[in-house]
Amino acid sequence: MEFLGYFGGVFEPISFLLLLGGTIGGLILGATPGLSPTMAVALLIPFTFHLQPAQGLILLGAAYTSTVAGGAVSAILLKIPGAPANIATSLDGNAMAKRGEGARALHLSFLASGVGGVIGVLLLIFMTPILAQWALAFSYSHLFWMAILGVTVIGSLDSKSFVKGLLSGCIGLWLSMIGFDDNLGAQRFIFVDALAGGIHIIPALIGLFAIPQVMEMFSKGRENAAIEALDVPKQSLIASIRELSRSIRSLSIGTIFGSIIGIIPGVGGQIAGLVAYDQARKFSPHKDKFGKGHPEGIIAAESANNAMVGPSLVPLLTLSIPGSPTAAVLLGGLIIHGIFPGSDLFDNHPRVAWTFINSMLIGQILMVVFGIYTATWAARIARAPVPIMAAAVMVLATFGSYSVQQSMGDVYIMLGLGVGMFFLEKFGFSAAPLVLGLILGPIAESNFTTGSLIAQAQDGPLIYFMTGPLNMFLIFLVLASIGYSFWSNMLHNRAAGKAGAGS
Amino acid sequence: MNKLLKTMVMGVAGLAMTATAALAGEYPDRPIGVAVSYGAGGATDFQARIVTMVAGNEDILGQPIYIVNKPGAGGRVGWNWFATEADADGYTLSAYNIPHFVAQSIKGGVQYSADSFEPIANWGADPAVVVVGKDSKFSTIQDLVDYARDNPGKATLSGAGLFVGHHIAALQIEKATEAKFAYIPTKGGGAAAMKAVIAGDVVAGINNLSDAFRAREAGNVKILAVADLERNAEFLPDVPTLLEAGYDVDDSSVNFRGLMVKKGTPQEVIDTLAAKVPEMFAHARVAKRMKAGGSPMKIMTRAEVQAMWAEREKFLAELLKGL
Amino acid sequence: MTASRLQHVVSSGVVLMVAALVAWISFTQEPADAFLFPRLIAIFFISLAGWNFVRAVTGLAKVGEGLDGPGFVNILPGLLVMIIHVFFAAKTLGFYLASTIAFLIIFTIYDPAPLSNRNAWIRRIIITALFMAVMHALFALVLKVQTPRGIWF
Repeated sequence: MEFLGYFGGVFEPISFLLLLGGTIGGLILGATPGLSPTMAVALLIPFTFHLQPAQGLILLGAAYTSTVAGGAVSAILLKIPGAPANIATSLDGNAMAKRGEGARALHLSFLASGVGGVIGVLLLIFMTPILAQWALAFSYSHLFWMAILGVTVIGSLDSKSFVKGLLSGCIGLWLSMIGFDDNLGAQRFIFVDALAGGIHIIPALIGLFAIPQVMEMFSKGRENAAIEALDVPKQSLIASIRELSRSIRSLSIGTIFGSIIGIIPGVGGQIAGLVAYDQARKFSPHKDKFGKGHPEGIIAAESANNAMVGPSLVPLLTLSIPGSPTAAVLLGGLIIHGIFPGSDLFDNHPRVAWTFINSMLIGQILMVVFGIYTATWAARIARAPVPIMAAAVMVLATFGSYSVQQSMGDVYIMLGLGVGMFFLEKFGFSAAPLVLGLILGPIAESNFTTGSLIAQAQDGPLIYFMTGPLNMFLIFLVLASIGYSFWSNMLHNRAAGKAGAGS
Repeated sequence: MNKLLKTMVMGVAGLAMTATAALAGEYPDRPIGVAVSYGAGGATDFQARIVTMVAGNEDILGQPIYIVNKPGAGGRVGWNWFATEADADGYTLSAYNIPHFVAQSIKGGVQYSADSFEPIANWGADPAVVVVGKDSKFSTIQDLVDYARDNPGKATLSGAGLFVGHHIAALQIEKATEAKFAYIPTKGGGAAAMKAVIAGDVVAGINNLSDAFRAREAGNVKILAVADLERNAEFLPDVPTLLEAGYDVDDSSVNFRGLMVKKGTPQEVIDTLAAKVPEMFAHARVAKRMKAGGSPMKIMTRAEVQAMWAEREKFLAELLKGL
Repeated sequence: MTASRLQHVVSSGVVLMVAALVAWISFTQEPADAFLFPRLIAIFFISLAGWNFVRAVTGLAKVGEGLDGPGFVNILPGLLVMIIHVFFAAKTLGFYLASTIAFLIIFTIYDPAPLSNRNAWIRRIIITALFMAVMHALFALVLKVQTPRGIWF
C-alpha cells in the first residue's frame, strides 16, 4: 500500500498540469497516423530535460497510456491503425463507424481501455515481484514457441477462407524477411533500394489498411459519392457503460490476455490486441458477427492493449530490462535524469517511482474522460463527404509513413503494399493475418537462431527447444490451437455444404 | 472573388520569398537531423539525444538537432541508408559507432566503408566489459577463462550482434586466452544481451561499460573485467582490465560514438560543424547528464577522429582476415 | 456475389508465381544459414499457393467479390494521382506542395459538383487549404518532421 502515500505528488499543480497535457497531447499524437506510442514518447523526452525527474516521468507515463488508447481513434474513424496494438480495433471499429456508430465505437473503446488500463497498472503495483520472475522465465525457446502460437491463429483471423487466411499469413512472413538479415547481415529479397531497410511495421500497417479503403472510395466514382451522408446519432454515456457491463466476457478475455502477454519481453505489446480479439471470438456465441462491426471485438482488443501497458513495465522497473520498444525509450528517459531502474529506483527514489506509477493510474481515468468528451465530436469525421475523406486519408498516409523514419522509401513501400493489398482483398485475402505474419516472422526467426546457437553450446536443439515445463506447455497450446482451427474449419465447411445442398 | 484571388497570389509570393531568403542564409538555417542506426532507448540513441540537446543555443549551432532512428541488422540498415540515400547538405548527420561500421564494411555486403563518411567529432568511448549474473559461480575473469578452457564451446557469451564492439572483444579474448567460447549475438542490441545474462540464458556476456555499470547498480550482475588499456576511474575503479589479468586484449573493441556527415558535404559546412560540435559536447549540462547516466565521455576533434578511424581500420582488417 | 472463375484463376496464378519466385530465390541464394527461415516459409507458401490455385481452377474458390469493370475504371484516375504523387511529385515538388495538388485533384475528380461551378471550386480550394494548414501545423510545427523540400516546400 506504499503507493497510496505518494498520490499527493500527482496532484501538485505542475505535476497535474503535466499529467493533463501529457494525456491530451498523447491522445492527439496517438490519433495521428504513423505515430506509434514509442515515437510519441521519444518525441517528448527532450521536454523532460527541463523538468524534475518525477515530473518528467509523469509526462512520459501519461503520454504512453493515452497514445495507446488514442491509436484507436484513427483505427476506428479512418481505418488507419496507429500502432500494431490497434489492428484488431480497426476490424470492427471501422465497420461500426461506417454504419454511423462511430461515437458508440469510440465510447466503448475508451471505456474498455480505461478498465483494462487500470487493472494493468494495479497488477504493476501489487504483483511486480512475481511478474518479474515470470518475465525472466521466458528464454529464446519459449519466445520462439510464443511466436509459433501466434502464427497458428493466423488462419482463423478475420478471413472468410481458411486457405487464403494462411496464405495471407505466408505473404506477411515472407515480407518480414525482406532486407538485411539480422544475424549475418546477408541481403534477402532486396529487389529495389527502398527495400534495403526492410519493411517497417508502421508504414506497412498504414498502407495495408488505409490504401485499399481509399481505392474502395474511388471505385464509387463521382456520381455516387454524395449520397452517403451518414447520420451520427448521439451516444449517451450511460448507454455505453451499460453496454460495456453486458460484455463482461470480452472485457475479461481482453484484460487477462493483455496483461499476461504484456509481460513477455519482446512479444507482448504488438500482438496482445490481436490474440485477445481472436480468443474473444472463439469464446463468443456470435462468432459470425466479428469483423462486421461487433462491439465486443473493440472491447476485447482495446482492453487488451491498455491492460498490457502496466505489466509491460515490470521488467523495466524491477530489472532494468526494457521489455518493449516503448519501455526502452522510457529507460532512456530515466537514465537521462540519473535514475537507474531496478532496486535502486524503489529504494532510493521511491517518490519518483510511485509518482510515475500513480500518474499512470490517474492518467487512465483522465484519458477516459477526455476520450468520451471528444468522441461525439470526433465521430463526425466519419461523416465527411467521400471525396474529401479519400484525399485526406491518402495525404495522411503519405505524411504518416514518411514521418516514422523520415524516409521516402517507407512511403513507396506503403503505397506499393497498399495497392497490392487492394487487389488481394478483392479475392478474399485479408490484411490482419498478413500483418500478424509480418510481426511474428522476425520474432520467430531471431529467437530460433539465437536459441539454436545456445543449444549447440548446451545439449543440442531438440533438448533445448522441446524439454522443460514451459516449452511443453507452449507446444501443447500450439497443437491445441492448430487442432481447434482444423476442427472449426471442418464444422464450418460441413455447415456450408449442407446449406449449399439445401438451397 | 478577384480580391480573394489577389490575396492568395500575394500569399504564395510571400511564402516563396521567405523560402528563397532562407536558402541564401547562413548554415544552419533549419533544424538538423541525426540518423541513429540503433533503436530508440538504446545506449547510442539516448547518448545522442543528450549530447545534441544544447545544439539550439545561439552560441552553438543556433538550430536544434533532432534524432531519427533507423535500426536494423546491427546498424547496417541505418548506415546503408546514410551512405546511399541521405542528402550531403549538412542537414542530415549520422551517429557512428566504431568499430561496428568499419568491421561490417570489411566483412562486405554493405554499400559503405570508412571512405563514404566524413567524421565531425567524437563524444564518447564505451569500453566493452565482461559480465556474469549476480548468482554466477564465477567471480573473477580467470574463473571464467578456466571454465571455458575446460569446456570448449560451452561457455556462451552474449553480445549485441556480429561485427560490433562486443564481438570484436569476444574474438580478442578467444585469441588471447586460447579458450573456445560460444559467442551468441542477440537481436535487440545491448539490452537484449544483458537480459540474457541476468536471466541466466548464457554463462556470461560482453556488454557496454555504461549499461553494465547501471545493471550492477541495480544489483543484477557482476562485472569481471574491462577491455581497455586502463581501469575506468570514474565508474568502475574496482574492475581490472583484461591486460592486468594477463590477457593480451587492448582497447580495440572500445565503442567510440560520434557524429559524421556524408562524403561530398560542402567543406564550409564540415568546418562549421567541426568547430562547433566539440563545443556542444563539452557543454556543462551535457557533461552533467552523461555522468548521471553512467556514460563515459571522450571528446575528440575531427582530426583526432580521422586518425583513430584509420588506425582501427588497419587493425580490424588484420583481426578479421581469417574469419 | 463472387468473382468469375477466370478472375480467381488469374489472381491465384499471380500469387502462385510470387510464391514460386520466393521459393526459387530462397533455395538458390547463399549463405544458406541466412536463408533457413525463408526456405521454411517458402515451402508452406508454395504448397498453400498451389492448393489455392487448384481450388480456383476447379471452381471451388468462392470468397472475394473480384473486380468489376465500372468500379475499376473509377479507381484508375485516383490511383494514377496517388502513384505520381508518391513516386515523383513528393520529392521533386516538395512534400507540402505535391500533397496540396494531389489533394485538390483527387477532391475535384471525385466531387459530384460539376467542374463549371465556381462556388464548388472555391469550396474545394478552401477545404484543401484548411486541411493542408492542419497537416503543416501538426507535422512541421508540432512534430518537427523535416519533409523533402523539392523545388518549393
